Amino acid sequence: MLGYLLKRLFQMLLVLWVVSLVVFLMMSFTGDPVFMIVPIDATDSEIEQARRILGLDKSLPVQYWIFISSLLQGDFGQSYVFRQPAMALILERMPATIEMVVVAMVLAVVVAIPLGVYAGANPNGRLSRMIMAGSLLGISLPGFWVGMVLIYLFAVHWGIFPSSGRGDTAEVFGLRISLATWDGWHHIALPAITLSLGTMAILLRMTRAGMMEVARQDYMKFARAKGATRHDVLYKHGLKNALIPVVTIFGLQLGDLIAFATITETIFSWPGMGKLLIDSIYRADRPVIVVYLMLVALIFVVINFLVDIIYTLIDPRITLK
Amino acid sequence: MKSLSHTVWRMGALGATLVVATAGATLAQDKALTIGLTADPSHLYPLAGEELSSNIMYYHLYDPLVSRSPELEFGPGLAESWETVDPTTWRFKLREGVTFHNGNAFTASDVVFTVEKARASIRPDLVASIASVTAIDDLTVEIKTPTPYAVLPNDLAELLILDEEYTTATGDEQMDLKPMGTGPYKLEEWIKEERLVLSAFDDYWGGAPKIKTVTFRPITNPATRTAALLTGEVDVVQDLAVRDVDRVRNEEGFEVITRPSLLNVVLAMDTRPESPTIEGPNPMVDQRVREAIARAIDVDAINKIVMNGLATPSTQYVPASHLGYVDGMDFRQMYPVDIDKAKALMAEAGFPDGFTMTLDATNNRYVNDAQIAQALASMLAKINVTLNLNIMPKSNFWGYIRVPSDNSSFIMSGWDVPSGDAGSMYAALFYSRDKKEGYGQVNRSSYSNPEVDALVDKADATPDVAERDAILQEATKLLMADIPMIPVHYEQDIYGVRDGVKLTPRTDKFLSAFEMDIE
Repeated sequence: MLGYLLKRLFQMLLVLWVVSLVVFLMMSFTGDPVFMIVPIDATDSEIEQARRILGLDKSLPVQYWIFISSLLQGDFGQSYVFRQPAMALILERMPATIEMVVVAMVLAVVVAIPLGVYAGANPNGRLSRMIMAGSLLGISLPGFWVGMVLIYLFAVHWGIFPSSGRGDTAEVFGLRISLATWDGWHHIALPAITLSLGTMAILLRMTRAGMMEVARQDYMKFARAKGATRHDVLYKHGLKNALIPVVTIFGLQLGDLIAFATITETIFSWPGMGKLLIDSIYRADRPVIVVYLMLVALIFVVINFLVDIIYTLIDPRITLK
Repeated sequence: MKSLSHTVWRMGALGATLVVATAGATLAQDKALTIGLTADPSHLYPLAGEELSSNIMYYHLYDPLVSRSPELEFGPGLAESWETVDPTTWRFKLREGVTFHNGNAFTASDVVFTVEKARASIRPDLVASIASVTAIDDLTVEIKTPTPYAVLPNDLAELLILDEEYTTATGDEQMDLKPMGTGPYKLEEWIKEERLVLSAFDDYWGGAPKIKTVTFRPITNPATRTAALLTGEVDVVQDLAVRDVDRVRNEEGFEVITRPSLLNVVLAMDTRPESPTIEGPNPMVDQRVREAIARAIDVDAINKIVMNGLATPSTQYVPASHLGYVDGMDFRQMYPVDIDKAKALMAEAGFPDGFTMTLDATNNRYVNDAQIAQALASMLAKINVTLNLNIMPKSNFWGYIRVPSDNSSFIMSGWDVPSGDAGSMYAALFYSRDKKEGYGQVNRSSYSNPEVDALVDKADATPDVAERDAILQEATKLLMADIPMIPVHYEQDIYGVRDGVKLTPRTDKFLSAFEMDIE
């Protein structure tokens, strides 16, 4: 286990280093950030001064060296645009994103797993067909469209939910959480539903496929024959064995939603970190983009690690090496 | 002055008594406003950078020496009055009894500090017209300009005064989060990307603000902004989407307010003998070719088809409110759309078969910019000018077209002059390149006309505003005849407002809660 952890840790550092290098190289092809900051009639000397202040007057390898060496001292660099520490900019927006993603994922699982099991167990039922048709919609409808329709119907037309923003928050362990207030739930509902639809549909289809696969196995028939109820057979024997691919997808989707919930955040003006990434790309704000993508890589590595551990819990035959 | 500050003080005291007497009732009556902006501000520290949302916040939190009215008239701000001692020396008398939000008194040393701080910051352009500044006494500063400069007060309207003691103690990085100015509003709370709340500074020298609490909410997506207005979550939205204008107009209880912005979309034509994207000699060296291009561009059609009627065709390089604007002169009447005439001019200049060049334009900076570029291509095709489009996002654009414009022949960009003076635009855009530091640095046409240079020099050598205006008008006439650039149109600023909110949009687009009221 220790060897496994060390191997994982080494892989993670390698991934982070590669990400930083790739982003640095990529960013040298996009626009010169200094022009996003100085006024358009700036003179050469004004531009030079801005370059010097931002540290852009040095060559790219030198800039990279400075970035890496201050990184090792715990300094993630400063945003060109905001002139604030890049890490702090991301972290202060992170709780809002995580909160929305958690609600969306819980929603997706709670809806998708039972429906998926049902559809897998009764592949020819009418209800199953309706569920599958619905999931097809969930996969194919783009999030921005769903979001706009939800705003139009529930906020503008019926006035049930607010159109945007985060609403009241309460402080829990120093973090501002909207799930602690009624107004917060009121605000998070539409964005979380929008965000969950795609994942919900994918999880549902994965569960159904897994269930159909295991339903043909002999041990299912044996379980039924020894007198276990249909419900027990489906959820205890069947679901557990069908779950491995579902957990894999769940992990990937979780990382994906945390990192790139941008569109949902923009539509509902949810103050999360995805919007920061897009804004930073528009403004060629390299320090923020580098740190953001490194953080995303870290999140993916950690989630994958957790998924591996969950495998061993679901299926004791799997061991980590 | 003394009497004014006393009145303000007494009004404040009266307010305090009332609050004590009827605490509950006053609270309920306190006017509060929520404004939906297109973006969260990047900064609250005026020397950290510049973009619209930040500018809006700056002018709530800080004050300049010279104030700028919604119609671009310049008047007393933190400076009560000013006079010129000699052509390059100005003396500003500062307002007495002004305090920063922390109670520190505003004095001449704050002005000196601000100028020096700006000089070393990322915005040295703010003090480019200042050679030196000295405090004569606590309430008098003397500013020297490098050369006689009639519009120094206009430039000073962009320099917001910092509290020396507080700014030094707080440091640049924290200044962005904990601003401290003399402005009509104080920062109450700023939760990034969620809301920024300002509360009235009741001791404001210009009188206590009528609206006590202002909440700014960044709502990037235009459709969501409209929805937030219609659901009553916000009272005012900035940049109402063009496609939502009719919807909001027809809705009971809402109003759409428009006004032409200051941003003039212009087309710069290369005037060098050889141009990067044109094979052979550059036809646009010839004024007749430039005129032909001007005559081929149907600005009214662009307005109707691309801009949904929400643009104002430009008559000159600067709007009528500016110094240097010539009354009655109209580019559209001088060069009305006339394809036959344009073709004849091309033939006369020796290019009956036209030529091919590339237009550089943005796709995310101006309203419908990419569509305008496409419209231009089809219009110029009628006079056999083949336009290849090179369209890119703004993060690449500014570096790409940058002078010496090694890649460009024909550039579409926007230009606004909030200082209300054509001189700064002409100096930056039309003055011969590399002749003088700070002149011609954005001359994208590589235009060089000794007469224009001489007029700009002359304008920048007079301390008299009326004379400057007259000289710049001469320059305008020359430029309109010579056409180094084609002015296209001003975009429209569009606001959605719920009934009961009184909003007079500012020409410079800086929404100001201090100037608004609720009925």
